Amino acid sequence: MSAPARPAPRRGLYDDPFWDHVDRRDLRLQKCTDDGTFRYPPGPACPTCLSLDWSWEPVSGHGSVLSWVVFHRQYFPEFPPPHVVVAGELAEGPILIADLAGELPPEMSAGTPLRIRYDAATDPDGRERTIFRWEIGPA
Amino acid sequence: MADLRRLSALCGEVAVVGVGETDYGTDYVRTRRGEKPYDSYGYAALALNRALADAGLTKDDLDGLIVGGPIAYERMAEIAGIEPGWSGSGDAPTSVTQAVMAITAGFAETVAIVYGNDQRTAGTAYGGPQAMGGEAILSYVYFAPWGMTSQGALYAMMTRRYMEVHGLEPHELGQVAVAQRAFAALNPNAVMRSPIDIDDYLGARYIAEPLRLYDYCLINDGGVAMILTTRDRARRGPNPLVTVAGLGRADENIGATTLRPRLVTFYHEGHAKVREQVYGTAGIGPGEVDVLGVYDSFSCHVPYALEGMGFCEIGDAGKFLVEKGVGPGGAIPTNTSGGHLSESYMQGWNHQPELVRQARGTAGERQVPDVRHTQFVSDVAGNVISVVYRSER
Repeated sequence: MSAPARPAPRRGLYDDPFWDHVDRRDLRLQKCTDDGTFRYPPGPACPTCLSLDWSWEPVSGHGSVLSWVVFHRQYFPEFPPPHVVVAGELAEGPILIADLAGELPPEMSAGTPLRIRYDAATDPDGRERTIFRWEIGPA
Repeated sequence: MADLRRLSALCGEVAVVGVGETDYGTDYVRTRRGEKPYDSYGYAALALNRALADAGLTKDDLDGLIVGGPIAYERMAEIAGIEPGWSGSGDAPTSVTQAVMAITAGFAETVAIVYGNDQRTAGTAYGGPQAMGGEAILSYVYFAPWGMTSQGALYAMMTRRYMEVHGLEPHELGQVAVAQRAFAALNPNAVMRSPIDIDDYLGARYIAEPLRLYDYCLINDGGVAMILTTRDRARRGPNPLVTVAGLGRADENIGATTLRPRLVTFYHEGHAKVREQVYGTAGIGPGEVDVLGVYDSFSCHVPYALEGMGFCEIGDAGKFLVEKGVGPGGAIPTNTSGGHLSESYMQGWNHQPELVRQARGTAGERQVPDVRHTQFVSDVAGNVISVVYRSER
């Protein structure tokens, strides 16, 4: 049985290394070599100092809830409602937006601890990939 | 940093002398029956005809053209048979601003700003696998692998955050949809005219929770046009004089893909800059605004704008909506045509003629008494923009 289907991510010069790391279950973000700022989504320059130099650095995978949305209307065949998507702020600063693995807990609120998990997924073209998602994490 | 002295030199010098709109209500019925009266350019051309007639002008009086929506100014100029000295494109308040700039800079004397959109019959998708706009606004498409698209979902995310931080209650937010429907009931050109109450609002289904059906704008076809010219030329026209008295703009694009300016500050940093510009140039404060227009693709824009422009304190918008009110007879009548929620979704364009009519005193049954200043505010996808119109009757 193949892994659950998901829409494919946008790919490009800066996205490819990002997803290559995710496929190895090793979430990394670009970190500016000059001022140390993490950025997401991937891009060519540091929004703090405009430096074009960066390295792909691992992040903790821990964060906390900023907000969430529950889809009651179905926009994608792959995500039947109710579908919960969470905006979580990583400990390193960037906001990651991803669906929530598991049920929406009744006590969900801003600040609820989160952690990144990895799941297998299938692209529309049949290619197997790894996707990262949020799950309610230990504080 | 905006220079209020130079910006003020533009304000009060240009007037709106003509407004035109298409038949939103009847066209909605026709398109639901499967008819397609016009395409985007056709709606734009019809609205332009009506705006010119309202102004007592012909297309040969035009030497400027600015367009909005999915139309190109080059083709619009060809269709309308005009050779402008200045042309461009932009959203509604940007088009007003550009027209003012072109006229005060001397590139043009009389500018048409024109919008047409056949988004309903064309099946334009604002969410899902075919969502539009992703090149300019990555958040519309970037999170598809996690099932997160649709502009409603972005605003749902923002509204949930606001509820967590400031405690907005569903029945408070629901006042926006109820109030705008009450205005639409007084507008013969509105698409949705049957009154709703707060129980109808709360009983409607969620689309992207916490936003419900009535928090969402309509999707319909139509067009809007306005004619702007110098104050001196406007004095010779048939309509009460309404000038562009205040302008302001501040963008918030840093961190926009992951929604940082929405989720962390509710665009209030941009609002604060714009408030200083628009009220500084107009020489007024929010207490002197008689009618407000807020870009309302979703109801939640209204509380954010009320706070951002200083109609109430930050965090108090829910209470303001219930206790002061934005509907007929309310403290600040807002989106008096019904707005995007109930009149027509012309992406900020239909608000402009309504604010001009209210300033002229010609808004029919929904006319607010003794209007001197009307104001438009939008905070769409990181562009906070505002325009103040002044009645100089």
